[in-house]
Amino acid sequence: MQMPEPDASVIARREAILTSLRKIVPAASVVDSEEGRRAYDADGLSAYRQLPLVVVLPETVQQVSDIMRYCHREGIKVVPRGSGTSLSGGALPLADAVLLAMGKFNRILDIDYANRCVVAQPGVTNLAITHAVEDEGFYYAPDPSSQIACSVGGNVAENSGGVHCLKYGLTTNNLLGVEMVTMEGEVVRLGGKHLDAGDYDLLGIMTGSEGLLGVITEVSLRILQKPATRRALLVGFDETATAAQAVGDIIAAGIIPAGMEMMDHLAINAAEDFVHAGYPRDAAALLIIELDGPEVEVDALIGRVDAIVNQAGASSIKISMTEEERMRFWAGRKAAFPAVGRISPDYLCMDGTIPRRALPDMMVRMATLSQKYGLRVANVFHAGDGNLHPLILFDANEPGELQRAEDFGADILRACVEMGGVLTGEHGVGVEKRDLMPIQFSEDDLKQQQRLKCAFDANHLLNPGKVFPQLHRCAELGRLHVHQGKMPFPDLPRF
Amino acid sequence: MTKPSLRPETLAEILPIMAEAMATQQPLAIVGANTKSAIGYAVADATLVQLDRWTGVLDYQPEELVLTARAGTPMAEINDLLETNHQMLAFEPPDPRPLFGGDHQGTLGGVLASNASGPRRLTAGAARDFLLGFEAASGRGERFRAGGKVVKNVTGYDLSKLMVGSFGTLALMDEVTLKTLPRPETAISLTFPAADFSAAQNMISAIFATPYEASAAAILPSDMAAKAGLSGDMQVVIRLEGFAVSVADRAEHLLKAFDQGEKRDETESRRLWQDIRDTHLLADEDADIWKISCAPSSGAEVIASLMAEMTAADKSCPYYADWAGGLIWMAAPQYTSAGGNFGDMMREVVAQHGGGFAMRVRTADTNQGLNPHVVPPFQPLDAGRLALHQRIKAAFDPIGILNPGRMHQGI
Repeated sequence: MQMPEPDASVIARREAILTSLRKIVPAASVVDSEEGRRAYDADGLSAYRQLPLVVVLPETVQQVSDIMRYCHREGIKVVPRGSGTSLSGGALPLADAVLLAMGKFNRILDIDYANRCVVAQPGVTNLAITHAVEDEGFYYAPDPSSQIACSVGGNVAENSGGVHCLKYGLTTNNLLGVEMVTMEGEVVRLGGKHLDAGDYDLLGIMTGSEGLLGVITEVSLRILQKPATRRALLVGFDETATAAQAVGDIIAAGIIPAGMEMMDHLAINAAEDFVHAGYPRDAAALLIIELDGPEVEVDALIGRVDAIVNQAGASSIKISMTEEERMRFWAGRKAAFPAVGRISPDYLCMDGTIPRRALPDMMVRMATLSQKYGLRVANVFHAGDGNLHPLILFDANEPGELQRAEDFGADILRACVEMGGVLTGEHGVGVEKRDLMPIQFSEDDLKQQQRLKCAFDANHLLNPGKVFPQLHRCAELGRLHVHQGKMPFPDLPRF
Repeated sequence: MTKPSLRPETLAEILPIMAEAMATQQPLAIVGANTKSAIGYAVADATLVQLDRWTGVLDYQPEELVLTARAGTPMAEINDLLETNHQMLAFEPPDPRPLFGGDHQGTLGGVLASNASGPRRLTAGAARDFLLGFEAASGRGERFRAGGKVVKNVTGYDLSKLMVGSFGTLALMDEVTLKTLPRPETAISLTFPAADFSAAQNMISAIFATPYEASAAAILPSDMAAKAGLSGDMQVVIRLEGFAVSVADRAEHLLKAFDQGEKRDETESRRLWQDIRDTHLLADEDADIWKISCAPSSGAEVIASLMAEMTAADKSCPYYADWAGGLIWMAAPQYTSAGGNFGDMMREVVAQHGGGFAMRVRTADTNQGLNPHVVPPFQPLDAGRLALHQRIKAAFDPIGILNPGRMHQGI
């Protein structure tokens, strides 16, 4: 993975930079020891590590603004970081960049039940939002698997999803507002407790921008009343194609389950060995279908879904009769990643999306690739929305296996795009999928995206080296061939 | 100023038009079926470009919950197709005819360009939440694509969000892909009388604190309630949608928990929410029509402040609220008793009560767009956001050929 060439002149100025930062934040909030920085050298994509130039832990918006203003003026790069759980390397440090760690922004500022909104600092964890409001019967819907640790600011940066987003949406659909600081140090508020923008939807653009457009310093999240009942079905199939068909049949019947997860044979057995959830070991595919809502509705829909999966040719069906049973159905799925970790020294977790109808073809393709690369792959899917999480099993201690696993993963993502899908459904591009972007987007597509980047950060100082395979200078991107005439608004920067 | 109007059939056909517009600095006024031209400033001295020939549904897979169509496709066609397949655009785009006249229901692209969303926006999201991807020509005269054709995607910047609500000022979308959802099996409404707006808003908050899942909530003062065929006091209107067995159960619970509720059957419910969605209730007012988006719980204070000003000016100012009180539709005169601008005052009041924005969607002023003293139709931007808007506009449309000035000066 090629990162931008570190700026030697910035590294040479390291001591002066530390001194300046200590004037902005208390000395203890500037981490400069190698040992201290080591704790921040990677995020959830731990195959990539880099010591940051320095780690700064601001605790006020003013400090963030001052740090950004200083770095902008001095031409120093900044990498923002929440809890560091990104699976795509979104918070991977740079040797010549200040790592802006937002962990001290850890307070919930306002719980507003009348407007069904929680205002929080960005370092608050995803699950803490639900914990803060659950006594009143509310919760925060997006539930990435890292929700116990991941920060809501990071959720905004990555537009995080989870197992319930088919029905309840991703972060972008549950976010009401943010306060952000631009690379120039300007504090900008977008949205609030009201709905929609009334001008350009900058809130929508910030969400999922992977820390390249601004630093989030406050979020306003929509909370929902908890559904009265949740029940689940555990359905085994002899063939993946049949399971995929059943998923389509359920949606065609007008039912949008709260969650609809699929696991393949290897994942089923790894999970069963680990947590003994009662999964059918001989099944080729397993569906966990969760329905939520008023009790009468859930009971009625359980009956309808039961009939649909039967019709589709299910080989086994279990229906949760108690909350304990529902939790047990989920236990295997929730433990799927560590379960796979037990049967292999290392694994790579991929994250593409395909149109659901392409799933059987994709399974065939994956089996072929698995043979080609000589590596096993276990599959868990968010089946409702076609989001795949193939887990490629490998051993990093075997020379060349990491590279083979990465090549295998890249081939899977190529197949996703070829089948009408996309490179990433919820983990983000980061550094992991950066060099694959040209598979999905043309040069012109990527240039237009970068022009947006230039509107926020004309010098590529904020989290460079992520998302875009090639950094174009903003002046070059803005060049326009016009035959005659003058430019209006000559004072405006053009990208 | 009558300039020739152009009706290209393909994206390829519009590229040379754009190249010439850039070379001659001739602005293009971009419209679909031209149903919402009342919103925003008129684009001065522009060549009219109509995209109503960019029609046709290209791909529709109901089981995948995605529909790809060209942006000029009439909404009537989209709605019919979805209805046949028991699906819908969940953001409930309004029908522009009651408010803006004419007999065209608008185009898909127009709905997206104006982020037009109806009552279900409260619980299901706005147009901006349902555009998954698109192909467009930027104001640089270059084709580009963003997003995808699947319901879950975080690859690259979410430019779909930027396109929706940008009123054609950044790029011309051709092919657009939207997320569709199953149409509810049934929908009924409950109405409850309320003493005043504040009481109505509190009741809605209480209803949303139950697990009985309303899909929409509006507040109709007695004059608006009467227009909508409901008698008596101010009315809270709650819509329940979904599977019949569930709707019946939820209705029963809510009628038990809240006093004096009345059930409105499917036919009456549909008519009620159409009136609310399409601003039909204010359509015959001879005044500016405003849309105010504020925190739902601030609605009462915002309205109280505005009504006090109206009473002082001895003017009436009919209004009603959707989105649990967070969307106020108001027919208002241009000037306040003090001779100030009503729109400016409205925006001050919203800012004082937790923020939001006020947009003038229709004006009674026949001089619309030409009178510099008239209050801006779009909420003026603070310095930080204005700078970002200008730079984003320049990033997509550096010469300013696409609807320049429709939203703000130069934008």
